Amino acid sequence: MTGLPLLELRGVTRRFPGVTALDAVDLEVRAGEVHALIGENGAGKSTLLRVLAGASLPDEGEVRVDGEAVAFRGPADALARGVTVIYQELTLVPHLTVAQNIYLGIEPARSGILDRAAMRHGAAEALEQVGLRVQPGSLVSRLSVAQQQMVEMARALVRNARVLALDEPTATLTPHEVDRLFERVDLLREAGTGIVFVSHRLDEVRRVADRITVLRDGERVWTGPAADRDDAALVRAMVGRDVEYPRQPAAGPPSGPPLLEAEGLTREPAFRDVSLKLRRGEIVGLAGLVGAGRTEVARVLTGAERPDRGRMRLDGEPFRPRSPGDALGRGVVYFPEDRKRDGLVPRLTVRENVTLSVLRRFSPFGVVRRGAEARAARAAVAEVDLRPPEIERPARTLSGGNQQKVVVARGLMAEAGVLLFDEPTRGVDIGAKAELHRQIRALADGGRAVLVISSELPELLALADRVVVLREGRLTGRISGDAMTAERVMALAVAG
Amino acid sequence: MSRSRSGWLERYGVGLALVALVLVASIGVPGFFSRGNLTTVLLHVSVNGILAVGMTFVIVTAGIDLSVGSIVGLAGVLVAATVTDAGLLSALGPGGATAVAVAVGVAVGAGVGLVNGAAVAYLGVNPFMVTLATMTMARGAARLFTGGVPIGFPPQSDPHFDLKVAGLDALHALGGGRLPVPGLPRGFPVPALVMLALVALGGFVLARTRFGRHVYAVGGNEEASRLAGVPVRRVKLGVYAISGACAGLAAVLMVGQLRSGGPDAGLLYELNAIAAAVIGGASLFGGLGTAWGALVGALLIGVLNNSLDLLGVQAFWQEISKGGIILAAVLFDVWTKRGSDAGG
Repeated sequence: MTGLPLLELRGVTRRFPGVTALDAVDLEVRAGEVHALIGENGAGKSTLLRVLAGASLPDEGEVRVDGEAVAFRGPADALARGVTVIYQELTLVPHLTVAQNIYLGIEPARSGILDRAAMRHGAAEALEQVGLRVQPGSLVSRLSVAQQQMVEMARALVRNARVLALDEPTATLTPHEVDRLFERVDLLREAGTGIVFVSHRLDEVRRVADRITVLRDGERVWTGPAADRDDAALVRAMVGRDVEYPRQPAAGPPSGPPLLEAEGLTREPAFRDVSLKLRRGEIVGLAGLVGAGRTEVARVLTGAERPDRGRMRLDGEPFRPRSPGDALGRGVVYFPEDRKRDGLVPRLTVRENVTLSVLRRFSPFGVVRRGAEARAARAAVAEVDLRPPEIERPARTLSGGNQQKVVVARGLMAEAGVLLFDEPTRGVDIGAKAELHRQIRALADGGRAVLVISSELPELLALADRVVVLREGRLTGRISGDAMTAERVMALAVAG
Repeated sequence: MSRSRSGWLERYGVGLALVALVLVASIGVPGFFSRGNLTTVLLHVSVNGILAVGMTFVIVTAGIDLSVGSIVGLAGVLVAATVTDAGLLSALGPGGATAVAVAVGVAVGAGVGLVNGAAVAYLGVNPFMVTLATMTMARGAARLFTGGVPIGFPPQSDPHFDLKVAGLDALHALGGGRLPVPGLPRGFPVPALVMLALVALGGFVLARTRFGRHVYAVGGNEEASRLAGVPVRRVKLGVYAISGACAGLAAVLMVGQLRSGGPDAGLLYELNAIAAAVIGGASLFGGLGTAWGALVGALLIGVLNNSLDLLGVQAFWQEISKGGIILAAVLFDVWTKRGSDAGG
């Protein structure tokens, strides 16, 4: 199965402000092997792929193709060397035909006039090789995601790809489509292509991979034949980390009946039959990999989306929020994961962002009373300890941690009983993280029901009183007390 | 450092450009800097200024309203028909008919605006396409209603000649009237006063009311606003209704001034209004723009046209220079944004 190394990464390091995304990583892809790349969210898999694709330059280290050091200055260089990455977000042009997409950028032409016969012929041949039975003249927008993926593979073949990297190719496929994909992967492997297979589904990795590389926090933890490690050992390699946060214990046991209850909540295709209970004074962690449906659950709880099925109750009353504004009015606040996209209005000032949800309170007859608004905003940013507590700065000029505090301050002004935090500390430095943890705990101790979604296991373990795990849209476990370990959560998340 | 400078320029740059242009014109253009001419400039600018204030509301939400010129045409012919309606005039008198005509103009404008807003907010249709459609439909409706001929001054043979002229005269007090002001021999034009009042009102609504805050929030980040509980759809409905109502009001003033409502009135006015709003600092990407800026933008175009007029420059050159100003404003916008967004 193994041949010559087609592609090697040696000591590849990639730094971003405040983070080392890749730290001296080695990777070797041989002809005729499937090399799986696994790791938690944020372990560095995507950055590694971007380096392979020439989309990102390493700060240190080198990339070798056929033993020769190369410097990819852009994706075109990587393609010319036969290295192709197929991203999870497919990159086809929907309104062009299959053949046009396959030849996009390398159209055969005679004195500037497209050689359409050659395109059709070559495309048909490539489609045959990947086993996709569609006409080269069909529009890509008519194809399913699985078929589009095959078109991307055909495109790679036409470009003589010798190394093909697939970024979570199964994430959007049905089980049957996954089987077909793996058949194609096997064929390509037999033809001598080197394949990089990025996934966090261990069962799939088992089915196709010859060798496995485990990444954790930007470092390569282990590389070896797939048969050398069982699932438990791989999970341990993925989660065993050095970062620890001080545990934030609850002041007392949760009190009273559930404040927010969801039963059999379903929104296809994101998640099915999810049941949750949030009590006052309690922090519930919602764990799972990216794409497991965590954010979607929170968005339904807060009225940003409607459920297909299932019931929600708030304080014992039926709860069917029609919009986030509606949920807010009943005391349920959602703190979105992507602050820049969903949380802040960057051009508005801190004051304006903080009071956005409750402006009505300061605007009798629709006219904003600036003095009252500013006093309330100052009190709110003091409560979240915004430093410096300037309320007239545009929100976009704040650091990530301060932006998150502004979003939290806005939620607090709503005087909410239920707080749903989605990745509350993403992009926040370590010191600010621990502080945000303390604040979230203080909010729960103050009698609120809190749900925290986080991809960072140490964060969940430090913060949550119990953890609910989602895997591919299904609830695969509820754990609390001593059973709450990183290994247990990860096992439920990848192979529940 | 560079951020604060470009922020300052972003805010006051257009105002400075206007001041500079006025200075240059005062020195270099004979007859420009007189009280009479300056009030003429204000009068000429008033329709575009009013449209630009409404347009600014829409543009701040990252929308666009192409229908305002056609609304001026449609509302105008309906206003003219109302104020020359013999039955209405004999029942309510010229003053009463004028009041009804004003209401008709504003209501027609707001009505078309509500259609625009409903399609954008509730059906999720692209604003450019929605308002392109209503622009075409309103123009067609205006021509259909009039048979393509202006409605206005009656022929001598008209049995209600005196009555209709009285109606038009009453409306003319609004559109062509002048308030006596000491020091201004011909008085201050009413349309310019209406424009200034509307700028002040628009400025107040945008800067000081809950609705105004929501307009900036929706334009600055629609999804974040929705998640924060801002009634995004109602805000969008509102801004298009405001823009339409402004166009209706502009139509009333135009008909009053000309004593006639033509189906082709207001042709391409939407483009002048967009130009004024953008020159005045509104960003087509949303989140930025003020009513005062719209006024400054409209004045900048107006002063330029007036100066070139006085210098006897061909109209074609005026168009070319107006285009140049628009280009300069957009380049300025790109340039200051590049400076100020680097930190965010």
